Amino acid sequence: MSERDEQQITQLLADAATQRKGFELLVRGYSEQLYWMIRKIVVEHDDANDVLQNTFLKAWNGLDTFHGDSKISTWLSRIAINESLDFLRRKKQPTVSVEEVTVSRLTADEYFDGTEAEALLQEAIATLPDVQRTVFLLRYFDEMKYSDISQMLNTSEGALKASYHIAVKKITEYFKSRD
Amino acid sequence: MNEEKYIEERVGKRNPFLVPEGYFDQLTDQIMQTLPERKPKAKSIWMRPVLYAAASICALLICTGTYLALSEEPKHEAALVTTPQQEVYDDDFDEAADYMMLDNHDIYALLSEN
Repeated sequence: MSERDEQQITQLLADAATQRKGFELLVRGYSEQLYWMIRKIVVEHDDANDVLQNTFLKAWNGLDTFHGDSKISTWLSRIAINESLDFLRRKKQPTVSVEEVTVSRLTADEYFDGTEAEALLQEAIATLPDVQRTVFLLRYFDEMKYSDISQMLNTSEGALKASYHIAVKKITEYFKSRD
Repeated sequence: MNEEKYIEERVGKRNPFLVPEGYFDQLTDQIMQTLPERKPKAKSIWMRPVLYAAASICALLICTGTYLALSEEPKHEAALVTTPQQEVYDDDFDEAADYMMLDNHDIYALLSEN
């Protein structure tokens, strides 16, 4: 979405009369991008759909807290990541357990189209703690800048680089241990 | 980073997930339907005078407290300076001298030694 579109949406959101229209444009512009961000964290499609609905509901209810200090995409991504991690915690699992995300389960999932190596990567990612997993997903798959991730997670770039480095190391070891 | 390259060469960066057919086409409508109506924040006009009055009372109490504390301070200091001196040079000093059976000569001798 261009900066001009973001400005237009911000203006519409600021006025109670046009708020709903502005939010609809926002959902149209960001829902797919956010869905994929959430899906990579929670893995299952149904879970991702639920978390996405909650993300937009939270954004809608918290519209007054958005003052345009950060970009709309950053604000929404922050809510989406928090909702995804909260969802995993609510399942009383600090990380998605290895029992749940397994190569055999993923390859049997109709909404997973990956190879065995790609399934093994998902299995390895599921063993990582919250921050390492999130940084790895955003950096490795989306090639996001550390400065952008830093704004989303409210964490210093140095700490994020360290987390990413550790995550990559753990995943490599995970692969090598299964060779 | 060599380890990153290792993962990339072994797995790649492709997104392996799929969604049900037509999922994204209906997504915006589906999300918009779940959103409740937003009620504009009611600004309570009658509360304003109450808030102003409470703030004025607080300010008044702080000012009075500060004034009283500052005006009492010198008296307190004077009391600290005068009272111990009187006690030492009058009753207590004599009582101590009597208790130790010292006369004036002994006292002068002790003071000159120190």
